[in-house]
Parts: sequence; structure tokens; C-alpha cells
Amino acid sequence: MTGLSSGGALRFGHTELPAEQREALRKAVKLEWATMGFLAITTTLVFLVLGNSQAMKAAWIEDLLSFLPPLSFLLATRIIRKLPSEDHPYGYHRSTGVAHLVAAVALTAMGAYLLVESGLGLLKAEHPTIGGIELFGSTIWLGWLMMGVMLLTAAPPVFLGRAKMKLAKKLHDKVLYADADMNKADWMTAVAAVAGVAGIGLGLWWADYAAALVISASILHDGIRNTRAAVSALMDKRAMTYDDSEPHPLGRQLDAYLRGLPWTEDARSRIRDEGHVFHVESFVVPAGGSMPGLEQLEQAREACIAMDWKVQDMVIVPVSELPNEFLPGPTSGGER
Amino acid sequence: MRRGNILAFMLAALLALSGCGAYPADPEGTLDRVRGGTLRVGASPNGDWVRIPAGSDTSPVRVEGIEANLVERFAQQLGAGVEWVVGTEQGLAEELKHGGLDLVIGGLDDKTPWVSHAGLTRPYAESKDQRGNLHKHVMLVPLGENAFLLELDKFLLEEKKQP
Repeated sequence: MTGLSSGGALRFGHTELPAEQREALRKAVKLEWATMGFLAITTTLVFLVLGNSQAMKAAWIEDLLSFLPPLSFLLATRIIRKLPSEDHPYGYHRSTGVAHLVAAVALTAMGAYLLVESGLGLLKAEHPTIGGIELFGSTIWLGWLMMGVMLLTAAPPVFLGRAKMKLAKKLHDKVLYADADMNKADWMTAVAAVAGVAGIGLGLWWADYAAALVISASILHDGIRNTRAAVSALMDKRAMTYDDSEPHPLGRQLDAYLRGLPWTEDARSRIRDEGHVFHVESFVVPAGGSMPGLEQLEQAREACIAMDWKVQDMVIVPVSELPNEFLPGPTSGGER
Repeated sequence: MRRGNILAFMLAALLALSGCGAYPADPEGTLDRVRGGTLRVGASPNGDWVRIPAGSDTSPVRVEGIEANLVERFAQQLGAGVEWVVGTEQGLAEELKHGGLDLVIGGLDDKTPWVSHAGLTRPYAESKDQRGNLHKHVMLVPLGENAFLLELDKFLLEEKKQP
């Protein structure tokens, strides 16, 4: 954290961050530390009242797993600041993707495990046992404490999630996005656990397992979705927006600019999302088949880099015709 | 958001339901059955906690000891008579699991391996063995009979306060 707040040029590899992104990154780092602090408190509280409820156990494990995305974000934001080296000529941007994948696989495995465990508990009809607890000299039902703690921990992550979501967009950070998305849905876990314990209180022993199944299914769902996103990013899927909802518009902009240059006839690019920054390979067909001057090429590259902070690693390759084997998809106007 | 609405509705319904009747409730109605009836207790002899006096192996069995006294008083509080069953921990735990008993005592502590068969009360007494290890003593109740368990927990805590 100290390294990031020291001011000066803040870099992702050799990409210097503009003021807006620098500010967003600083806020995101603070929020992720806040998230971890909050999680440290809630996991302790929930552990203290865990009892024999399967739903509470599932909610607790989800809280524990929630440490992974902030941890991987904080770790990755440190590593990606390293400059490219001889051994790592593309820089360390991929560390974000690796962190994302590790967190996603952990979610998937734990979600599947809890789903099976809760299902088995339901089949075996193991009635969850929750007794009394001594509190200020009198004995109350532990279930009340469980419900109280879960309700207390329900709201804050929603606000954290919303704040992080905005920053994820600015930073084009998919780990932060995944984390924010999970936080936003976190209150449902808490409510499900409360419903499970309330059900036990009514003598509906199966309500606990039903709630646990809902929670584990949501963990598994998060895990699978994130694994898919992380894997496709590492597989060099074309650059998408931060929430993977559509192709990133930058591709279209770059091609439009290059095509608009007086010395080009056609141009198309393929873009890899390295984590925060894009690596761009643009193929241009010079007009009239005559080779552009070094200066023209250099200017075009500079202009593209100036277009967005995410473009830094860019190569422009003059070709006699667009190499279709490198650029699958529709040929004219499409960004693919 | 739809998933959320369903959950919120479930919660509201459960809380509304919880307004009526005893809370927490027993899925198998143990507390209601025992109150004013019979408390079926399994006893496994163990030191000062559970003793079977010599010559009492005829029916009805007599059981003495710290835990036996506690159980007698708990039954009295519920207006119930005690029906003792003497056996091994293994046999009694199996019986408890299948609903043949309401309570099992035997000088057990909270490290008991019978958690798969039974629920535990809160530790209500502590003792030290010759090796200096601390034992927190508990009794076994049927799994998930939470009203019964809470009633017993309350009783044991009261007893602990005024020895």
C-alpha cells in the first residue's frame, strides 16, 4: 500500500497511468484493504457462533473464500508494476489473469464440495442441533445469535461492491469486477443463512440444508463463471469490456483511425487483453502498394497510443493484403 | 434480484411463522412428550458421574452419581418420571440416534466421538484427570431436538450457578 500511495508516476509495466486511473487504483487498493478488514471481522464473528448449522458453515466458507479476490487483486497490482525484462518481454500484466484463475478455481472447488456435502446431509436427514449459549448470565438459543450476526454482515459488502464496480470499469480490471460482483450478491448468502437457521428454530430441520444448497450453488455459479472468464482471458480471447458484455470499442476506433490515414488503403488489428493494458498488432495495407515512410508509421503508432492509456504495446505491420489467417471474421467494418 | 426477492419472502414467512408456538421447536416433539410424562435416560457407569449401586441390577434400575442427580432434578422440573436404561456408550448412543432414548449420561466430555449420533449440551462442569488434562462435561441429546436441548441447557446453567 505504501508503494502505491507514494505518488509520482504510477505504472502498469511501462504503461504510465493517467490521473483518473491513478486515482481509481489508489481507491481500489484502499477498498480492497477495507474489504479484507471487514472480512477478518465477519469470519471471526461467524466462526464464534457457527454451531451445527450447515447453512452457517456454507456462509462462513464463502466469507473465507471472499478473501481470495481482494488478495489476488492486491498481489497482482504489485507484480504488474514491474517493467518488462529480458525474460519477460511482454511485462507482468498476465499476473492479474493468473490470480483471477486461481481464485476462480478455488471458488469452483469449494462450491462443488459444499453442494455435495449439503446434499448428503439432506439425504441422510441429519437433524442440525443448536442448543443454548450463555450470554450475560442467562441462556438464550444460539440460533438467535447466528441470525443476528448474519444480518449484521449482510449490508456492508453491498456498498463495497458498488464502489468497486465503478473503479473496475475505470481500471479495466476483471479481478476487481469479479470481486465487486460477488460482494454485491453477498447479502443473499446472509439472508439464506438466516432463513436456514430460522427454519431450524421452527423444527424444519431440512430448511438448513435447503439454505446451504442455495449458498453452495451460488458459490459454484460464481466459480464457474469466473473460471470461464479467466480462462478465456488467458487464452487470448479478443479484448472485451471490463464486464465481458461486448467487444471492447477500442478495436473499432483503432481500425477506423488507421483506415482514415491518407497513406493507407485498409487496416485491421488483433488485440490481446493482457489484464489492464492491451497488446495490439495492426496490419495496414499501404495505398497504391507503396511502402510508407518510417515517419508516417511512427506517427500512426504514436497517435494510436495517445488514443487510450490501455494501448502501449503496439506494432504496425505494413502488408500487401490483410492476412486473413490472422484475422478471422468478417472483413469489412467489423471489429473482429 | 429475483432470487433475492424469493429469499426475502422466505425469510419474512419464516419470521411470521415463528411468532406462533414454541421457538425453537423440536422436529420430533421430544420436549412436549417428556413434559408430564417419562424421560428415558441411558446411563453408562463412569466414576463419580454415573454409578450403579451394588445389587440394583434388578428392574427398576437405580442410578446414582453427580449426573444422575442432575437428571432426576431436571425430570422433576418437567414433571416427568425417569426411566433408566443401563448400557455401554456404544449401545446407548445407537439407541439415542434411533429415538429409543431422550438423554444419555456417562461422564462424557465435549471431545466425545458420539457427535455423529447425538447433540451435545453446553459444558456444565469441568474436571481434571491424573494427567492434568481438562475435561468439559456434557450430556448427549437426540440430534436436532432443539427445544428439549435448550430447556436442558438452561437447567444445567442454573444448576452451575447455585451448586
